Amino acid sequence: MTVRETAWRVSARELQGSVEEERGEGEKVASYVVSPYGARMNRVLVAGALSPAEPVGRDDPPTFWRARLTDPTGTVPVTAGSFQPRAMAQLRAGPESRPAVVIGKAHLFHGRDGAAQLSVRAEAVRAVAETEERAALAEIGRQTLDRLDLLDRLERGPAASDESLRAEGIPPLWLRGARASLRRYPESDRAAFRASLASLVRRVAGDLGPAPVRPSIPPTVTVTPAAPPRPAPAAPTGADRSEESVFLELVDELSEGSVDGYADLRELLQRIAVRGIASGRAEAVLNRLEEGGAIEEPIVGKLRRS
Amino acid sequence: MTAAEIPAPPEVRLRDLSLEVSPVEVVGRLVTLERREVPRRTDGVARPLLVGLLTDGTATVRFSWWDPPRDGIERGEIVRAVGAEIREFRGRAELVFTWKTRVEPAGEAELPRVTPEELPRRLLRDLGGPAEGFRIEARVVRIVPKSVTVGEDQRVVYEGLLADRSGTAVVSAWSDFGLNAGEALRISGAYVRTFRGRPQLVLDERATVQRIEAGDLPLPAEVLRSPPRPIGDLEDGGGGEAIAVEGTVVHVLPPSGLVFRCPRCRRLVAGGLCRIHGEVEGVADLRARLVLDDGTGSVVVGADRGLTEKLWNVTLDEARRRLQDRPDPSVLEEALLEAVVGRRLLVRGSVSRDDFGLNLAPETIEPVEIDLDTAAGELAARLRGPGG
Repeated sequence: MTVRETAWRVSARELQGSVEEERGEGEKVASYVVSPYGARMNRVLVAGALSPAEPVGRDDPPTFWRARLTDPTGTVPVTAGSFQPRAMAQLRAGPESRPAVVIGKAHLFHGRDGAAQLSVRAEAVRAVAETEERAALAEIGRQTLDRLDLLDRLERGPAASDESLRAEGIPPLWLRGARASLRRYPESDRAAFRASLASLVRRVAGDLGPAPVRPSIPPTVTVTPAAPPRPAPAAPTGADRSEESVFLELVDELSEGSVDGYADLRELLQRIAVRGIASGRAEAVLNRLEEGGAIEEPIVGKLRRS
Repeated sequence: MTAAEIPAPPEVRLRDLSLEVSPVEVVGRLVTLERREVPRRTDGVARPLLVGLLTDGTATVRFSWWDPPRDGIERGEIVRAVGAEIREFRGRAELVFTWKTRVEPAGEAELPRVTPEELPRRLLRDLGGPAEGFRIEARVVRIVPKSVTVGEDQRVVYEGLLADRSGTAVVSAWSDFGLNAGEALRISGAYVRTFRGRPQLVLDERATVQRIEAGDLPLPAEVLRSPPRPIGDLEDGGGGEAIAVEGTVVHVLPPSGLVFRCPRCRRLVAGGLCRIHGEVEGVADLRARLVLDDGTGSVVVGADRGLTEKLWNVTLDEARRRLQDRPDPSVLEEALLEAVVGRRLLVRGSVSRDDFGLNLAPETIEPVEIDLDTAAGELAARLRGPGG
């Protein structure tokens, strides 16, 4: 019996932190991405601000498009190819960033360095009113907290039987997801993740405006998701300036050496690390340069000088 | 050993049959009869055998009657069997009437008198199981007379819904018990039948219905306005009546939109052909098969014309006009999908399951408005709360 895969309500941050995969064996079996926070996802539902789509690859006309969905917790790439003509049309529909609900398949891409990057292959994209987006985020928040509570419970008392938990109305799928999460991410920092949901709640309440149009994608995804809240922009110091110049130098070097004229973000960050700049710092510098208009990221993971 | 020393077999009710006590004396009504012939192993001579079901109001039991009278045995007759033997068949006791068993006609009055109180009460949730010999205490949620054709006869069957604290069940009464919505009932002598994988309660003229104090039985309004349940929960149970679910439309399954149906059986017509009636002139209809997902599971909601028109805001006439303008039904299906996907709906109806998952036959479909301030307040409180 093949039952339709349920769409997990997840935030961008949870998707960014998901690096574990469960591959089925044999033909026509579903694969799942396991998150640290209790989701075992084949299909997901996400909500936020959807950026305009950009073509990927060199086909003319383009057969693959990518946009970014940003919610108050983070950003995920959303893709659609010509095999999903409806989703592709919907993804390309807007010239401007717009509130949207996206239903699609969670897909993990492993780069050459082994780092995993998650994207959502869109099946349905619906442009919605802002209130609808906030309602969807409310549901995402509620179900995420429910899953975190379940994980806490399972960790505290692993003896609780599935039958007794089911009798309380805990869906069987969630139990399975929670157990997979605990197995795959024994060390995950759930408290920090939980705290990061505050921004989502503020957005539901309407205290926080729509997500900014051009946020940056965190370069590599790590299992410890609790990056500290971005500090208020201060005047750049001399040290900042020197880091920026190292950064720009590398961008130039890499883009000159590459076939497509772009600097690969992952490669860049590796070289940065070699020069002794921590990845958290590197992200901050990258953000500053992007905001300052020195470099741009027209394709996710690809940089160039503006 | 003389005959006087052999104790007379005890008279037992069918629900009390046990493999340890044999032979026994029983009284019951013959419900089904089938004559067979079984070749004897020693010489191959055919031996007549009558098999069937016997009921006494407490249970229904299979029986095998070796060398029965050639005729004069009819369905519905009541018999007394003295010295019937018990045999185990697939883990259950059944009766064997041998040459040592005396079978004689009996009267209605000899059937065990079963008062509703002494029958075990069964909750509607547990309706599946032995088909009779129980009592139900439940509230009538709704009841509607329906005219049906049985063979040549036109009959009225009263169809409705019963509820207790454990759940609900469809009831069909083939006699008029004067049932009204809101009444609390004690029912005995009813039996269970399975329809589309779901057990239903059937009342015929042998059933007894008493009005009782409602106690804590749910009110009809409670049942009909029950809060939505997680879809993942329903997957365990297998379905039910008057169930509410709330979720987001994540997909619309084909065939949806404008379809054509056989005028005789309402099956979908493909290529001008009905599966049963061959070449027919299809009748236009609207439908939508919505995949509703609430994050715990998903269910296919089969919306009929009325509900589809309301949801889509396109009437059947309008859909036909559009098809004339652009003769491609898939364009209509796409338009319907665009109109509903991502929408949040509260749907009520009966849920059943098949090999592909859960299906919901909706009675009502309503859009859901979320109070964002309340939702944000609840989330904020949870974030502040213990563990946050």
